[in-house]
Amino acid sequence: MKGAEFLVRALEHEGVEIIFGYPGGAIMPVYDALLDSKIRHILVRHEQAAALAADGYARATGKVGVCMATSGPGATNLVTGIANAYMDSVPMVAITGQVATSLMGTDAFQEVDIFGITLPVVKHSFLAKTAAELPRIVHEAFRIARSGRPGPVLIDLPKDIANTVAEYDFHEDDRSEETAEPSKESITRALALMRESRTPVVYAGGGIGMGNAIEEFRTFIETTRIPVVATLKGLGALPTTHGLALGMMGMHGTKTANHAVQTCDLLICVGARFDDRATGRLNAFAPNARVIHLDVDRAEVGKLRRADVPVIGNLRHALKALTCKLGSIEPWRRECTASKETHAWDYAAPGTEVYAPGFLKSLSDRAGDDSIVACDVGQHQMWVAQHFHFNRPSQHLSSGGLGTMGYGLPAAIGAQLAFPNATVINVSGDGSIMMNLQELATLRRYDLPVKIVLFDNRALGMVRQWQELFHDKRYSEVDLSDNPDFCRVAESMGIPAFRVEDRAGVSSAIDRLLAEPGPVLAHVLIHQEANVWPIVGPGRSNSEMLHQHEVAREVAR
Amino acid sequence: MNKFTLQLRVKQSEGALVRILGVTRRRRFDLLHLTADTTEDGHFLDIQMTVQADRAENTLVRQIEKLEDVSQVEVVEPDEAPAQRRAARSTAC
Repeated sequence: MKGAEFLVRALEHEGVEIIFGYPGGAIMPVYDALLDSKIRHILVRHEQAAALAADGYARATGKVGVCMATSGPGATNLVTGIANAYMDSVPMVAITGQVATSLMGTDAFQEVDIFGITLPVVKHSFLAKTAAELPRIVHEAFRIARSGRPGPVLIDLPKDIANTVAEYDFHEDDRSEETAEPSKESITRALALMRESRTPVVYAGGGIGMGNAIEEFRTFIETTRIPVVATLKGLGALPTTHGLALGMMGMHGTKTANHAVQTCDLLICVGARFDDRATGRLNAFAPNARVIHLDVDRAEVGKLRRADVPVIGNLRHALKALTCKLGSIEPWRRECTASKETHAWDYAAPGTEVYAPGFLKSLSDRAGDDSIVACDVGQHQMWVAQHFHFNRPSQHLSSGGLGTMGYGLPAAIGAQLAFPNATVINVSGDGSIMMNLQELATLRRYDLPVKIVLFDNRALGMVRQWQELFHDKRYSEVDLSDNPDFCRVAESMGIPAFRVEDRAGVSSAIDRLLAEPGPVLAHVLIHQEANVWPIVGPGRSNSEMLHQHEVAREVAR
Repeated sequence: MNKFTLQLRVKQSEGALVRILGVTRRRRFDLLHLTADTTEDGHFLDIQMTVQADRAENTLVRQIEKLEDVSQVEVVEPDEAPAQRRAARSTAC
């Protein structure tokens, strides 16, 4: 049996059902072996989309996403997707073809040091040196990708190794993937802080979903009754409609969430990493709070904010151990709930143009509890985070750490393949959609019924917003008024499309979008100067949120 | 500036030393001194490195200790005579 067949058999052994990829010279032996495998290969139209689709598949399912490309440009095109998975702790195995061992280091055709290029953005990487070691490498790659804090693992496979005939002899190791339990001492100290606190807040991050700790998290919240703020990736850990869910924190967070964090006396961080978009100016973040930090990754605790009590280890165990009734926080809870009601979103915007937050709220109300939303990056991404309801984090596929424009469509493809009957929606913008527009052809090829909502403000909206607010309206390279006719582009790739030009057409547009049995694109025109509110300016504290009415007043003076 | 010395034991694997140096650079620690010797059985590299940064030791120690092939990380007093030991063996990176 050849090395390439070892690889494919080992992937089957790991339970891989789908690989996203694109063939080429150095990876041809593996594509040959795939012909005899039950693994389904999805041919994308650009390798970046293979990595991002594997990421979307992994986030939606909790399984390891697998992508594959040839050496050289095929491999470098994967890099953005690998980095995206690294920044958001997504389990992924990326397989790259490599030139033959004898050619490595000679600047051969399509040779690139992908092992070296990806070192800063992988959890681990392997260069296969013999065919016989491939089953072990694949097994270790999957173990590493999904264990502890998940992340991407690269396997670089030289063509001669893939073609080498050897004996298949593999014995699986029994190394446990279970992460350590937190220390009893840390639990005791954390419980003491929780009992002393009068105004505690839970800061919920992506680690809750990634660590399969949702059930334990919800029991912890229902028992302690501590109000919850969420990061972008933490949305849905507690249903966003839950009474104790105060919404997203940070740069585009809710007033209630940011105010709660800025005034709390105890911040319980669960699987989050004090990212700058969440904290605002770090030395002004939660200034009155002591911090309990629960995380599986010791390196995150104390990295940016000192933890009074670090609780290192498996979140499920930690949350279970900290679940207790707290008697003294009722006034604080009432204050948070009242603030949430006072500062509820107002969808009665002036004008007749489509109001994107209102569109998304209506879409969320009608798309059903099991719908999955894959976003791109920019204003529409923040509107989704603010206005869509999520019952679990795996419904919300969003590039948080890397902020990869072009993520949404490939991620939606990955999710739709994992859940063929689910309503999968890609919310995009006229900037982002162009980054991986070619994947409309993938939607058509596999007839995937992804619903695309393309908000078009004929600009790079988020950059335009920053230039308006923080660069004295000096607009630089944000005009996209020469966009193509998106409906005709979609139709040319076999995707039905229609335009939504004003607010009166929103309801019927959502009907049409959700009724379409196959893929469909709604091209939604919005005002060019629509902004995301509220916003915390760069370098500012989360106490200094800018609201639309305040900015309007400032301009009027 | 915080200056300290780390003693590491790392599995001899593709890119092991580069990976550690990459983490050190990316986390904004300046390398002042480095020695790396293969252990007698050839399976590991013993690395001693002195670095400095404005950041705390633990910021680097915790990033390095979670690398897959790192089996030991310690903050130590600098080895007084690493050169003689180093001279006898070759190092792969």
